[in-house]
Amino acid sequence: MGKEKQPVGELVQGTLDMLILKTLTRGPMHGYGIASLIQQVSDEVLRVEEGSLYPALHRLELDGIIDSEWGLSSNNRRAKYYRLTALGRKQLAKEASNWSRLAHAIARVMEMA
Amino acid sequence: MKKLWKRLRRRWQLERDLEDELRFHLEMKAEETGDAWEARRRLGNVTALKEVCREMWAFAALESWWMDIRYAFRTLSNNRGFTMVAVAALALGIGVNTAVFSFVKTALSFDPGIERADRVVLVSATDALGQDELSRSDPDLRNFRSQVKSLVSLAAYRLTPVNWSDNSGLPERYVCVQMSANGFAVIGRQPILGRHFEAEDERSDATAVVVLTHRLWQDRYGKDPSILGRTIRVDEVPRVVIGVMPAGTRFPEDTDLWIPLVSGGVHSGDPALFGRLADEVTLAAARNEMDTIARRAANKSPDTLKGPLIDLSPILKMYGLYHARPLLVVVLCAVGFVLLIACANVANLLLARSAVRSREISIRIAIGAGRARIIRQLLIESAVLSFGGGLVGWLLALAGLHWFDASMARFPKPAWFDLSMNTEVFVYLAAISIGTGFLFGLAPALQLAKVDVSNAIKNGGHGAAGGMRGRRLSNVLVVFEVTLCVMLLVGSGLMIRSAIKVYGTPIGVNAANVLTMRIELPEAKYPRLDDVISFHKRLKTRIASLPGVEASALTSNLPVYGQMDFTCEVEGVPPTDAGRLPSVGGLVVSRDYFRVMQVQPRRGRVFIDSDEVKGSPGVIVNESFAAKFWTGEDPLGKHLRLVRDQAPRSLLTIIGVIPDIHQDFRDPLTHDPLIYLPYALEPQRSTFIVSRTRVPPTTLVNAFRREVQSLDENLPVYDVRSLEDRITQHHLNIGIFVALFTIFAAIALLLASVGLYAVIAHSVSQRTREIGLRMAVGGTSRDIVWLVFGQGLRQVVIGLIIGLMAAFGVTRVLRAVLVDVSPSDPITFLAVVVVLMLTGVLGCAIPARRAVRVDPVVALRCD
Repeated sequence: MGKEKQPVGELVQGTLDMLILKTLTRGPMHGYGIASLIQQVSDEVLRVEEGSLYPALHRLELDGIIDSEWGLSSNNRRAKYYRLTALGRKQLAKEASNWSRLAHAIARVMEMA
Repeated sequence: MKKLWKRLRRRWQLERDLEDELRFHLEMKAEETGDAWEARRRLGNVTALKEVCREMWAFAALESWWMDIRYAFRTLSNNRGFTMVAVAALALGIGVNTAVFSFVKTALSFDPGIERADRVVLVSATDALGQDELSRSDPDLRNFRSQVKSLVSLAAYRLTPVNWSDNSGLPERYVCVQMSANGFAVIGRQPILGRHFEAEDERSDATAVVVLTHRLWQDRYGKDPSILGRTIRVDEVPRVVIGVMPAGTRFPEDTDLWIPLVSGGVHSGDPALFGRLADEVTLAAARNEMDTIARRAANKSPDTLKGPLIDLSPILKMYGLYHARPLLVVVLCAVGFVLLIACANVANLLLARSAVRSREISIRIAIGAGRARIIRQLLIESAVLSFGGGLVGWLLALAGLHWFDASMARFPKPAWFDLSMNTEVFVYLAAISIGTGFLFGLAPALQLAKVDVSNAIKNGGHGAAGGMRGRRLSNVLVVFEVTLCVMLLVGSGLMIRSAIKVYGTPIGVNAANVLTMRIELPEAKYPRLDDVISFHKRLKTRIASLPGVEASALTSNLPVYGQMDFTCEVEGVPPTDAGRLPSVGGLVVSRDYFRVMQVQPRRGRVFIDSDEVKGSPGVIVNESFAAKFWTGEDPLGKHLRLVRDQAPRSLLTIIGVIPDIHQDFRDPLTHDPLIYLPYALEPQRSTFIVSRTRVPPTTLVNAFRREVQSLDENLPVYDVRSLEDRITQHHLNIGIFVALFTIFAAIALLLASVGLYAVIAHSVSQRTREIGLRMAVGGTSRDIVWLVFGQGLRQVVIGLIIGLMAAFGVTRVLRAVLVDVSPSDPITFLAVVVVLMLTGVLGCAIPARRAVRVDPVVALRCD
């Protein structure tokens, strides 16, 4: 019910989820903050498509991987803060290990003489 | 659950939240880049983004259901006429079904308050053995009990109504059961207060004791726990209350109290036996075992023992309307027919409407609605209709039951009778509501979903909907309706014929303004017959002096309340087979009985004062008696001699012949030969007092009671009712069935005729152009009328033939309630044919009229 397949590829979508979750390990954060942080940490290499960021956040919330709460931002504005749930931590661990396995595999293939 | 709630909450806030969240994002971005437009551009299509989120949170499927339901309501309220007819038809069908179900359920699901009642059996001996062989002599019973292995215990009981008096309130008449001490072990329930019987209580020298039902304890003593140890006078014998059984425990039905079955006493009638089957023993196995034992015990005269000696039957047979089970099933089937007719009717209405709707449906299909979705939409419409029908039907059922209950209020209510709507009834109501929705909705829905899209849109709906197939289906439905209707009509016709016979047979007395009641003088207080006679004499004087009383008498039996049995020698009649004397029915009545009943003698005279003298020889017979024994002779002056215990009594002379008065409560048509003995000859301890009154009889009840109790304050007056009420109740058996079947048949006929009308009318409106064309090429109105009638009556005739054949096959199940009417009574069948054909003609007449009035010019030009 309600879970629509995104037009983006599996890998990209999975990666975005993982990046969001990883970012949230630093603590509760609003959507804008998540996007900025990912961009900043990746030295502007990874630019989060905002059009898919919010649907992703909502989907994760629906699945119980993250939770949300309205709060005040640093400049005193009402913002929706997301944070990891216990389920989310588990999910992140799983995706992280998957990712490293995949990255290693790709790296090995690419290093092939 | 929590998740669902969160989701629901979110769903409501989603729009605002999403807006806020995105605005915050844009503001932050704009601050960062200093370019609001750039921020917005980066975010992309906000509407699409929102839509994606919205869909995520929404209950897409659920909401589409909701949409369908709303759409169904809209569609139905736009077609008010159709909706009203459909809901009314369904409400009638569902209403009568619910009402009948709650009646049948209550009649069959009576809880006797016995532990695992299905394992308890009644034990009876067949004629060859004689019940007394089994139970009269207690040593035999004990011997028998010790041998039977297939019963855990075997107990005996005997029903004996008793007079109950203590110092709290009026004396009462209660239903008492004398029961062997082990009876409670068979019942298997423990008393909530005190104890029940022990073996010592059976001894004749033991303290007399009594155990109360919860009902008696509650009604008379307000659940006072100090009742234990109190002494009550039961038939003037002091008895100590030793226990109270839990609520609901009644054995047998309608019992008020139990006393021990004391051995060695003199009793009227043999006790009945009941026992509990041992674990894993079947009824048949137990019957076999007991039969073998009985055969061995009765070995003295093996020649007379043919066939099985012992019969076992489930105890539940004694409760509620168990014995009427087959009949109740018949009623349930009949009422089910009514519902089926209602369904067929609504299905037909839906089919007729599908012509109009095919355009709408086609458009929906054309713009991409799946067929499954269309069928779902149509079924939801059906469900909304059937729920509407269920709701109105429920109200109808409530009203009907209320009315039934109210009209039964003046008759004594059996313990099982409780028409409250409980869960079971609601489950049934819900089930048939949903079931009917599918039943009538499915075929039309499938039909519509198959619509030929391009054709339907092109033709604007005319003649498109299912075409031939739809029409054939609706014809079949009409035939089906007519068939069921015919069966119900035949059933009710047979019932009505029976009722006419029963109600048309006069009882033979003037029942208006007669008050009746009973008293029984217990032996403990009135040991000699002279005491009884003197009491009755004093009572008669007192009652005769009451204002409003015209005449009073005593009688052993009331009209339609049975009779006593006497053996007698009849003058001029040789004893029939092997010295056996004829057994005849009779009543013992006091002098004014015939005056109270307003019966004039055909010949001779009725009783006068001199017949009240002890030893006077006058006796009266009814016409049937005279006709049977002295055909063509003058009965006056002939002689009778009663024989009791083989000993002839004094010779009696016939002094009068009275017209037949109906006494038999089973067979309402035939009259038994009866003799009327003067009270002085056979004084009765238990009698009815009957009085003709000048005022409405029930206004005298308290005065009567006062007079009785001023003579004996411990003597209960019971069963106080007007004779009219009694006779009405006597007719109730057939009356209820007649009323039920007539209601069913009336509804069925109404529905079937509306159904036929709807189909024909619709078909005429569909064929307007064709009719116009026929008229244009020279068809006369007569041809057109034939066209319409031919179409309608063909189905009626087909349904009639099938229905009559089916009815012929099944009406024998009604035999139990039919009185002097054959299940294949030709008059009834003929009447049904006439009624149905008339209805058919009526159903076709209006559409035919409309068809004749078709103006060919208009018809051919229309669309």
